[in-house]
Amino acid sequence: MRSQAMHFQARVPAKLADERLQANLARASGRFVAARAQAVAEYEGDFEALRDAGRDIRDRVVADLDVWLETFEASAAARGAEVLYARDGEEIGRLVVEIARRHGVTKVVKSKSMLSEEADLNAVLEAAGITPVETDLGEYIQQLDDNEPPSHILAPAFHKSKEEVAELFARAHGRPPVDDIAGLTREAREVLRRHFLTAQMGLSGANFLVAETGSAVLVTNEGNGRMVTTLPPVHVVVTGIEKIVPTLEDVATLLRLLPRSASGQRISNYVTVATGVRAAGELDGPDHLYVILVDNGRAALAGGEFATMLRCIRCGACMNHCPVYQSVGGHAYGWVYPGPMGAVLTPLFTGLENARDLPQASTLCNQCGAVCPVRIPLPGLLRRLRERQMDEGLRPRRERRALRLWGWLAARPRLYRLAVRVAARYLDWLADGTDRIRVMGIAPEWTAGRDLPAPEGRTFRDLYAARRKHSKEEGR
Amino acid sequence: MRVGLFVTCLVDLMRPRIGFAALRLLEHAGCEVVVPADQTCCGQPAWNAGDRATSRRLALKLIDEFDGLDYVVVPSGSCAGMIRVHYPEVLRDDAVARARAEALAARTFELTDFLVNVLRIEDVPGGFRGSVTYHDSCSGLRELGVKAQPRALLGLMPGVELREMEAAEACCGFGGAFAVKFAGISTEIATRKCRSIEATAADAVVLGDLGCMLNIEGRLRRLGDEHTRVLHIAEILAGEDG
Ligand code: SF4
Repeated sequence: MRSQAMHFQARVPAKLADERLQANLARASGRFVAARAQAVAEYEGDFEALRDAGRDIRDRVVADLDVWLETFEASAAARGAEVLYARDGEEIGRLVVEIARRHGVTKVVKSKSMLSEEADLNAVLEAAGITPVETDLGEYIQQLDDNEPPSHILAPAFHKSKEEVAELFARAHGRPPVDDIAGLTREAREVLRRHFLTAQMGLSGANFLVAETGSAVLVTNEGNGRMVTTLPPVHVVVTGIEKIVPTLEDVATLLRLLPRSASGQRISNYVTVATGVRAAGELDGPDHLYVILVDNGRAALAGGEFATMLRCIRCGACMNHCPVYQSVGGHAYGWVYPGPMGAVLTPLFTGLENARDLPQASTLCNQCGAVCPVRIPLPGLLRRLRERQMDEGLRPRRERRALRLWGWLAARPRLYRLAVRVAARYLDWLADGTDRIRVMGIAPEWTAGRDLPAPEGRTFRDLYAARRKHSKEEGR
Repeated sequence: MRVGLFVTCLVDLMRPRIGFAALRLLEHAGCEVVVPADQTCCGQPAWNAGDRATSRRLALKLIDEFDGLDYVVVPSGSCAGMIRVHYPEVLRDDAVARARAEALAARTFELTDFLVNVLRIEDVPGGFRGSVTYHDSCSGLRELGVKAQPRALLGLMPGVELREMEAAEACCGFGGAFAVKFAGISTEIATRKCRSIEATAADAVVLGDLGCMLNIEGRLRRLGDEHTRVLHIAEILAGEDG
């Protein structure tokens, strides 16, 4: 997907003004936040200890990624899978098209894969004359809506209401509109069933890759993942190199974290462990299995100051809880990954200079870090990105100069005292005898939507000095 | 017990009475309070902007100024968090400075945390009567675990009725420079906070960070709410005459 992340700031006003979007965001994030809170409260063990365990598992892999990749590759090959590596999105597209051609594929059924978004895979497949069909309900909705990109990593149509989906379905399926969710799901299922049975290739992502068994683990709620991985003769898994987990035992630990953090479920409706091709005597499974492991900027993070980001298990909790995401939705972020994790990943994967607003677009409230199941210090990473922006001259000159001037003053108490005294008087004058400033020339952005409460007019320092002098005189 | 009061730059400029309220509370509890005259800012704006050199300079300055005191107390969760959580990271490249930062961090407390967990005070001078709701500012809450402390202190005031708001732990949208860089989003987030506050119909919203206070009060007034008072926890505890 081509990054539009440069235009975050420019997209914000339209998102804020879109009342339907605002209502949808409020409803959806409210639901996710409440569900997670309840699931954590009901967890029978110590959820904080579970988060520690999750972090430790992910750190172990990230610390020796190359070794774990080799282990996974050997285990997967032993089960008849072919493991391929893709350096970037373009290479994903090339590999998938090659595999499709090799097996005479004309239709691909897909379950959720964010890597497929990184590769813009649907467009690539269509250009090669192959029909992609999204089968995750949310992704299917997005595909019907003129291939609109997902706005959330788990709930691609997070920004849409059920009424909007009903309209869309009526138009696309040529049937009278259905207005309940069960009815809509039934309708999608009828359409998709046909595709499951006729597609020659299933393409999926993977939530985890198990090094000891060579399996791909898929966590889904609709059962489409199971269809995609078992019905068609060819199954292609596309996922990031960091998705490896050492053992099935580790998967069990992470499975306690992932659904609770993501949707507040104790466990997702389906957990699919896809291991190898269909062996002799087995009824289900593909004849051919390919696992495409994607770098696209990941390997460069291992061992560096952003390595903790590779722990991410794509649960979406950070965005569900983010006040900025809740205000503008996922599309404002401009690339595959939105919310706090996207604000870290997008600059790292697509270039710091191509996503200038994203590291800044956070209050650093750490609501994300507080819920991240693998304890990624997201605000700390955003701050590090800001530091790099500063060092690489990617912030406006005006901002850098203002900071430097302020820092210079703050290091000189006498001058500083004078400057603050003047500032306090000036603001007091602006308030003009009232308790607030309604328009402030030096920071009009602040007063566009807020008043600035008036200062008292004199600084603490001056008042304190006066008081000390006074009490000394009295004491004399 | 010699306690250094770090007033914070924003209190110095905008609301000296919060500084005096903190002073009064500490003295009321029997502390000898020292207010180093040359203090300015903890460097948080620079740190959050990615300007490590400036934050380093200001961190070293503050560490020098508060040297030799038993404690440092700050009427702000985010400034106390800056010292306690971030200074060691700001100074990570210099072993000696880092060790000094860690020593200071261990002696530094957010005001309510200090009153409850170090001084263990059992009465406060303030005589406020009415209903209040408490907003948990992000840094105090998530960096320092300030949550029960202000509520315990409000519980010492017989005239105060505490009404919890919906999503008290949600950010108010301030975020320092964020409030200006992304003013539209900031205002939208503040609006949600104001709605939660108004839903309690409390006489006052109380909180522990001046940045959030300016943001919340500014938005409340712009939304036409002229009656909900916005008070710093120090003000209400110390009594409003400071
Ligand atoms: S950063 Fe953490 S909270 Fe966000 S998606 Fe990844 S694992 Fe989930």
